[in-house]
Amino acid sequence: MAFMRVSRMGLGVAALCLSAISCGGGGGGASTTPPPPPPPGPAANTASVIVDQGPASVGSVNTLYTTVTVCVPGSTTSCQTIDHIQVDTGSYGLRLLAPVLTLTLPVETLSSGGSLVECTQFVDGYSWGPVALADVQIAGETAKSVPVQAIGDSRFTSVPSQCSGTGGTQEDTVATFGANGILGVGPFQTDCGDCDTVAENLYYACATTCAETMVPLAMQVPNPVTLFAADNNGIIIDLPTAAPAGAATLSGSLIFGIDTQSDNQSGTQTVLTVDGNAELSMTYNGQTLANSFIDSGSNGIYFADSSISTCTTAGFTTFYCPANTLNLGLSIQGANGVMVNNLIFSVGNAETMLNNNPTFNVFPELGGTLPAGNTGSFDYGLAFFYGKRVAVAVEGSKTSVGTGPYIAF
Amino acid sequence: MSLMSDNGAMNQMAPRHSNYVQRINMPLFRSGEIRIAALSGALLVAALAPRMACATLGEPEITVQSDVTQLRASIKSSEDRVGYRVHEIQLPGSTLLREFVAPNGNVFAVAWNGPTKPNLRQALGKYFDTYASAPRAKFVDRRHMNIQQGDLIVQGSGHMRVLSGRAYLASALPNGFNLGDLH
Repeated sequence: MAFMRVSRMGLGVAALCLSAISCGGGGGGASTTPPPPPPPGPAANTASVIVDQGPASVGSVNTLYTTVTVCVPGSTTSCQTIDHIQVDTGSYGLRLLAPVLTLTLPVETLSSGGSLVECTQFVDGYSWGPVALADVQIAGETAKSVPVQAIGDSRFTSVPSQCSGTGGTQEDTVATFGANGILGVGPFQTDCGDCDTVAENLYYACATTCAETMVPLAMQVPNPVTLFAADNNGIIIDLPTAAPAGAATLSGSLIFGIDTQSDNQSGTQTVLTVDGNAELSMTYNGQTLANSFIDSGSNGIYFADSSISTCTTAGFTTFYCPANTLNLGLSIQGANGVMVNNLIFSVGNAETMLNNNPTFNVFPELGGTLPAGNTGSFDYGLAFFYGKRVAVAVEGSKTSVGTGPYIAF
Repeated sequence: MSLMSDNGAMNQMAPRHSNYVQRINMPLFRSGEIRIAALSGALLVAALAPRMACATLGEPEITVQSDVTQLRASIKSSEDRVGYRVHEIQLPGSTLLREFVAPNGNVFAVAWNGPTKPNLRQALGKYFDTYASAPRAKFVDRRHMNIQQGDLIVQGSGHMRVLSGRAYLASALPNGFNLGDLH
């Protein structure tokens, strides 16, 4: 199935192969004529990204995808190119849905002898699967033996009760996960932070049974960009403006590295450093919300405002449905004190926009609710990136305009 | 004694620990009194009770300790606020779990914040299955949760390394309770 989808994306994948990477997978007959010169394509540090409906049966909105190639470590032939990998600045690490993975990637083994398996936790559920090693290629960038998670891997089907007890949906299939995988490229290096010294109910050592474990840093799932041979200090997401009413698709670029190539130079943008939770302070409607974040992995603009009508139709009730589109103001302050004042954003009627254009997947004015007082948070999702060039610098890495972790736009 | 009558196994323990029982049954909301001592007494009773209900949301305050035991956690603080009491539980990892107790002695809400979620099967008790079987909302992005199933409301938000959420029983909120304080 995955290959069917991949082949339908043939053009994009072919362009990637020609421009940059040695796509594996085998099967192709040897060519006797030399290949034509590659057409001018994206730079080696640039991957194409698209907001579309997602993999079959998912029906995503405001979800950004790219294509990733993984290989069995050291192999140039046991490789697979997988489309519809979500690009997520709100998480860390490459995770692949095992149901679409045709490769058998070697699982990491702890010094105790157990296999390393992860209970990745999301707000609304969890994903269970081993941490395996893969050579990762995205556009022209490569990283060797990267710990990646194989979610829903048939070699580890028994989910410990401590993991499943965290509740919500078991997101181990493409349909429940909403993507063929996820590329976590947020501003930190790993997906845990202190799992080398604390068992956070994230990593498990599995032999006949599974037990929570601490994990050496190098074995944890990292933001794969940090392991690229070059262009490894962060990313830039460059997306065009989206029409207010939305669009079926929106295409742009995921550029690796900041100030490492001619195409990823910092300019005069504002640099906002993020705190230890990768968060910023935002002020909305007179309230300062200290636990706010900008996140390509959020599909709406989520905030609490009891004065805005919510939708009434079942399934929509957590989204806003104002009678008329609202233009609202927001200020954002980095941990470095730098302020961006009076950024205007718009919230339209979610039911109207979704019902009027059922084939659309891009909705820049989709606003959703957050529980009042729950977190003191404003979650500015992928819509923030529309019409902008946003850099995310990894913690500890330097660019010409600052040291990560920061977000700049 | 009303608390004890909620659990048959506890009744047998009551005579020997009646002083503790009496203390935990005292009015909850005296000015600024921190009730760790009372709770500790309750915990002792709980520890001695062999088959005490492993539940929390909607259960008596004493089950806070069964949570602590089951979750291999520790009570970091207990605080009386106006109209309710909060026990803050430090899980073995970095996550904090707070359990909110109403004047009637029952847990009416739990809230969490940290890199991982608590074991909600433990913290939600008999409400876990209701939560787990709730239909999934449209357009999920793994960042949000807002479930309402009858009296039970479970909400969450956040991102990797920082997940927060809360669960409460709408009908059990103390009079005048501000949901903005539930975190």
